[in-house]
Amino acid sequence: MTIRNVRDHGQRYRPRMACLKKVENVVLEMQDPKTGVKSQTQRLVITTIPHAITGEDIVAWIANRFKTDAAEARAMGTMMVAFGYIYPLQDHKRLILKPDTSLYRFQTPYFWPAQQWLVEDTDYAIYLAKRNIRKKGMLELYEQEQYNNLYKWMNHKWDFIVMQAKEQYRAGKERKKPDRVVFDCQERAYWVVHRPPPGTVSAMDYGHDRMVDPNMEEKKTPDYYRRIIMFIQQCIMRPRVKSSVSIGALIKYTTTYKEHDPFLHTCLPSSPWITDDVTYWTLNMPNVETPTKMRVERWTFSFGELLMDPRGRADFRLFLKKEFSGENLAFWEACEDLKWGAAETMKEKAQQIYKTFLARGAPRWINIDGKTMDITVKGLAHPHRYVLDAAQTHIYMLMKKDSYGRYLKSPVFKETQKKAVAPESHRFTETQLEQNAKRRRPSLSPIILRQQEEEQKAKLAASGPVDITQVMSKLERKQKN
Amino acid sequence: MPLCNNKVADDGTSAQPLQEGKAMVDSLIKVVACYRHLASCIGGCTDNSSLRRDLRQTRERAQTLALSCRNHLTARLRDKTLPEAERKETELLWVAFSSCLELLHADMCKVFTMVKHFSLANNSTMVQTGIQGGTTELAARALSLPDLQEAGGSTQTSSMEGQEQSQLEQEIAQVDRTLEDMELKVNVLRWTVEALGPQYADPVSTDSASLALLSIDEEAAQAFCSRSQVFAAMMLCGVAIFAVVLSVCVVFLV
Repeated sequence: MTIRNVRDHGQRYRPRMACLKKVENVVLEMQDPKTGVKSQTQRLVITTIPHAITGEDIVAWIANRFKTDAAEARAMGTMMVAFGYIYPLQDHKRLILKPDTSLYRFQTPYFWPAQQWLVEDTDYAIYLAKRNIRKKGMLELYEQEQYNNLYKWMNHKWDFIVMQAKEQYRAGKERKKPDRVVFDCQERAYWVVHRPPPGTVSAMDYGHDRMVDPNMEEKKTPDYYRRIIMFIQQCIMRPRVKSSVSIGALIKYTTTYKEHDPFLHTCLPSSPWITDDVTYWTLNMPNVETPTKMRVERWTFSFGELLMDPRGRADFRLFLKKEFSGENLAFWEACEDLKWGAAETMKEKAQQIYKTFLARGAPRWINIDGKTMDITVKGLAHPHRYVLDAAQTHIYMLMKKDSYGRYLKSPVFKETQKKAVAPESHRFTETQLEQNAKRRRPSLSPIILRQQEEEQKAKLAASGPVDITQVMSKLERKQKN
Repeated sequence: MPLCNNKVADDGTSAQPLQEGKAMVDSLIKVVACYRHLASCIGGCTDNSSLRRDLRQTRERAQTLALSCRNHLTARLRDKTLPEAERKETELLWVAFSSCLELLHADMCKVFTMVKHFSLANNSTMVQTGIQGGTTELAARALSLPDLQEAGGSTQTSSMEGQEQSQLEQEIAQVDRTLEDMELKVNVLRWTVEALGPQYADPVSTDSASLALLSIDEEAAQAFCSRSQVFAAMMLCGVAIFAVVLSVCVVFLV
């Protein structure tokens, strides 16, 4: 038995597929012998099969019925073909409507894309087995792969699947030959829609299913009213911003970032989601040696961007090391670690931070004003995650107002900017794209990425912080000499 | 319903209960396959009362078979004294039977929705699907009868349709309950069941002639446009050969 963990009976709602009912009505209108689409007979070697329609007839009918132009009618016809209500008789893998004399036929209602029936893998396995029988083992490559996969995970049913395929095949023989041909075409068209060949886009991609019917009227129980009241109270309590302000902020954000979004703008060298080539991701790894030009440009947008990017932070750290003011960044990082770290080590971490950065005469003493220092020291008596928040914010503002500006003008940054790579865009041919698709591999496991991060942190800690007192004593010794 | 011992092959004395069970499940699979073929014609241009009648009869036959299968298999699997090898085989049959019943359930639900939409009594528009022939042979195959008597084309009234709908609904609910009952009564662990048969179905050896014709039809349908191209190419070749022959004659004359 297939595991039915969702108690079905049509409980899955696909709100975006409400168009299916409407398309069905249009298809039924097209059947009318007087006002519908003209049908012809398709001539095969020995047989003739009726009810074939040409693409141009379909386009003309749609244009006439909905009073639109030919391009719009063609788009609508392509939608009907993509959903599977009409299937092409030649070139059956490309689900588009060609406005010429190429032939199409209506799909039988059994194979219509219905809203409440999930397309079962069992049926697909039976279909592939039948096809295997008919084509004597010559399945297409992607069908072969799917078949092997299904064999692996539906193994317990496999005898049934093979038997059912044979029985369906034999039952098909009982029908007359033209009917058999039509049924095979229908079934094939159905599976082209629901299990599209690789490289094609399926019209049945509609996003997530919803568990609740959004059009259903909800019963007005006390619980329902309680929920509504809570919801409205929260709405009232929410802080509000003038729409002019928020829209202004949105516009500013989009104008700054619009060229950096890989979906909205062409990303160099090529978008991995489209061409299946991962150079873009390898060039933008967290700890890459030479960052890309776009990445470096993003660091100039705001201080937050610079700190959030690990490569940017490393660059900033280098700059601060040259200026001997690395303790600010180190303190900030230590506070982040405290905020996001494990709860058991929190107390020790807080104490360590106090000893290293905040105590009088500490090795890496940071410069914060008296009031903040007071609050922090008082809070450290009962340390918790956010005890150093005030100090961290102060240091963050300090870095932003002071060091950040100097960093952007510094030779370190200019050096990085000069060395940044600007990759050329790829130009892949069709065959190369197919090869790329075949060579798709999963990306680095998060476990490995975490290990790399830990190694990086350890290296940093080992390279040793600049101890102010030691540096000061060295300078004093030099002066003495 | 009477417990009928239905077998595909008509040998009077069946030796082991295992063979019985296998035969019952095989015939159920056959009937479900026929039912699917019949269901694919609903709403098409050949949808008429005889199709609906065929569907009903096939469905009833499937129900009786399913019931007898279930009783037989449940009894065997709850029998604690069953030897291990036979238990494995019976579990395989059980999995096949439950998958078959699920297919039947899905098909019945689809038929239920489609019949509501494409009602014969109200003369709803049917889709021109290109099917021409009838489905009497399929029904005959399903019911294991040599030929089916043609009951006269009785027109369906809407009350008859309503009755049939409600009966179909009841039967769907019954199959639902059967599936649930089965899972409660007998515990077959799906991951312990391994298929014994081949991965690829053997090509059916009967009727290779029609197979070949069918594949020719397919290819012809695909290569329909290129037939004229082939013809043109042959013409060109003929003309070229003719020209060569002419030139040879000219050379000889000169």
